[in-house]
Amino acid sequence: MPHTSTTTTIGSWEAENVTVAQVEAALSDLRRHEARAAVRTSVLTLVAVVDDQREADAALEVVYDLGGRHPSRTVVLVVGDDPDDGQGIDAAASVHAVERQGTAMCYEDVVLRVRGLARYHLDSVVEPFTIPDLPVVVWIPAHLPAPGDPLLDAANSLVVDSRAVPAAGDVLRRISALTRRLPVNDLSWIRLAPWRSQLAGLFEGSVNRPFLEGVREVEVAGNHGPRHLLAGWVMRRLRLPPEAFTLEPAEHVSIRLIATSEGRTGRFSVGRAGPERVIESCIDIEDGPSVQQTMRIRRQWPGLSLASALTRMSGDDTYRVALDGALELS
Amino acid sequence: MTGDNPLLEATVERVAPPAAIVVFGASGDLTSRKLMPAVERLALRRLLPAGFSVVGVGRTPMHDEDFRERMRTLVEEGGGGGDEAKHVWDAFRGGFRYVAGDYGDAQTYAHLGRVLHELDRERGTAGNRLYYLATPPATFPVIVGGLGQAGLNRPPHDGAFVRIVIDKPYGHDEASAAALDATVHDSFEESQVYRIDHYLGKETVQNVLALRFANAIFEPVWNRRYVDHVQITVTEALGVGHRGGFYERAGALRDIVQNHVMQVLSLTLMEPPPTFDPNGIRDEKVKALRAVDIFTPEEVATEVVRAQYTRGWAQGAEVPGYRDEEGVDPHSLTETYVAMRLKVDNWRWAGVPVYVRTGKRLPKRVTEVAMQFKEVPHLPFAASQTEGLDPDLLVLRIQPDEGITLRFGAKVPGQAFQVRSVSMDFFYGAAFLEETPEAYERLLLDALVGDPTLFIRTDEVEQAWRICDPVLTAWEQGDVPLARYEAGTWGPSEADRLLEEHGRRWRKP
Repeated sequence: MPHTSTTTTIGSWEAENVTVAQVEAALSDLRRHEARAAVRTSVLTLVAVVDDQREADAALEVVYDLGGRHPSRTVVLVVGDDPDDGQGIDAAASVHAVERQGTAMCYEDVVLRVRGLARYHLDSVVEPFTIPDLPVVVWIPAHLPAPGDPLLDAANSLVVDSRAVPAAGDVLRRISALTRRLPVNDLSWIRLAPWRSQLAGLFEGSVNRPFLEGVREVEVAGNHGPRHLLAGWVMRRLRLPPEAFTLEPAEHVSIRLIATSEGRTGRFSVGRAGPERVIESCIDIEDGPSVQQTMRIRRQWPGLSLASALTRMSGDDTYRVALDGALELS
Repeated sequence: MTGDNPLLEATVERVAPPAAIVVFGASGDLTSRKLMPAVERLALRRLLPAGFSVVGVGRTPMHDEDFRERMRTLVEEGGGGGDEAKHVWDAFRGGFRYVAGDYGDAQTYAHLGRVLHELDRERGTAGNRLYYLATPPATFPVIVGGLGQAGLNRPPHDGAFVRIVIDKPYGHDEASAAALDATVHDSFEESQVYRIDHYLGKETVQNVLALRFANAIFEPVWNRRYVDHVQITVTEALGVGHRGGFYERAGALRDIVQNHVMQVLSLTLMEPPPTFDPNGIRDEKVKALRAVDIFTPEEVATEVVRAQYTRGWAQGAEVPGYRDEEGVDPHSLTETYVAMRLKVDNWRWAGVPVYVRTGKRLPKRVTEVAMQFKEVPHLPFAASQTEGLDPDLLVLRIQPDEGITLRFGAKVPGQAFQVRSVSMDFFYGAAFLEETPEAYERLLLDALVGDPTLFIRTDEVEQAWRICDPVLTAWEQGDVPLARYEAGTWGPSEADRLLEEHGRRWRKP
């Protein structure tokens, strides 16, 4: 089970109207004066792009959720659209130490409030802060960038959340366009992992497997985005026609497959019924086993799904398949 | 099985197929301390399917529900449980069964067969069984024979699997291991047998393979041209505790060297496997073990040190000597410490001594492999400038603080030119976003999905005993004195001499 970790901020600095070079110098200074920061174990640079300080705090909160398993540098770009803000960059930098199982490691975050024309050249703001030779992941929690956004030039991969993007209608199509430019990880898809693994598990074993070849109906419920992705994945993987699918809006995701094998009907379902963070899996086979399993969805979801996204720098082929199916169903 | 499951894919974690795990020794320590917590964690990670079932077999009479409750309580007492686990144990309701009986009684297996059939029907376990022998070694042949005679050694139909997991010790010498193998193979094919050494389930042991074979910079120096010697250390701070009776029959050589040390050694010294499949890796491990030179009786006296701890101070407390421990003969000659200088006769390692040591009641618990590199052929500095410089060293820390340390020389900042050794540490847990599964959790899942890579093949067992047997024989003949070391120290001075006579010394981990 997870080992507990304690995080302490061991140094911080902030200033208004600064140059990128000044922020870099301040950051080096913070590290140099702290013995615990002498050794860096780095995996990537994470760049989060948000609209305001509230979103910046929320993004950092998610990053802190990762605890000791943290990318070594996070750059949060606060990009407001207030024309009265003037030009310039305000910055705040912090270095933190995580003690975990007697081992200390350090990571840092830099929050840059970018005003004026620099908002259109975020790549030039980010580049000086990237750790050499390590991948750069751009995470945009509540928007989608335009495919031509220069910030994407600085990125090795992009993390978005299709469910959190306003104007749900064409979100999946826009993500599909982005996947042609760079690897994209969608947190909505990652959050579906328990549903997918449970559903796949229901068809393991010689009793249940034959039903996979006789799926007649699939009912999927959930928010726009997740329900389409889940349905698209099943459609493509099982080579089913779109007519076999019924999609309904719902607050929580659930899926039910009705299938036949050797004259028997089997119902296989996975779903989260209510606010409690549990998903139920059921198998009900005519004249056969009838079993139910309830699993709790673990806490720290935002941190965990981001962690999962950060392990897939080259994107997820299965997601691309699901996205393709989802576009056909939407 | 009818075709693949297209919903299972690499990006979704491996999920165990529907199966019943049958634990012999269900009321024992291993079951409650290791196996059931592993089952709980697998379920929490959603890696067990609906319908997964556990059948306990033991001599203590118990009802199904009592067995489940007992396991749940013991797992909770061991630090598991909690809110999240409540759903897991609720889901196991109906999936926990208990069969009481004597392991030598045919009725026990007849009853077990009925229970397994019931689970297939009611919970869809599909004829898949994983037997786990968490019992004393003396019962292994009895249970294996019982399963065979009852026909429970074969899958009930095509597409189902039957596997058997056997925990260490696998025999107490080469002959007894071969005899056990013969008995096991009377009932089970080798492909059904999963011999477990939990060390191989540790992420950092597997990381030895990643470090060696996924990086271009280490393999070129991983040989006699650059390596001066290798040290493998497996130490414990604890004494024998309540295991005195067991330990008297085992000793450090059988308990640790024959299995854990030999596994770590073979992974460290093996050649790159052509593929990462089960036989690709295990073939190379066996070749590495076969290259280890066997001691003559005379060499046992000069190349191997056995010792026993005496009263002393360990980790701030005064502790008894081994002979004063519960269940230990006051005149015992059982070794609690072994150090050996091994020769490996192959192209890569000829002339590179491999020093191994293991012991109880040493200053701390540590497992590590240290590759000490040769000194540079010429130091262009004055001796006074390099007083703090040691040869380069690469340490693979397996436990605790899993990671890698590289020691190399660096200039001391300042006007003078002084060179000193510095260490660069990599902590495994600090760089990765994934949680590390516990060893038993990983191995249990491997056995359920049918991946034997991290289990020990019969020829590995044979080779490990081939190395240890001559030592045991020489000790039994009384030709080699038993040294003593004070509890809380790094072992006897005789072990230091194994290295000192060649100008080397043991690391202090």
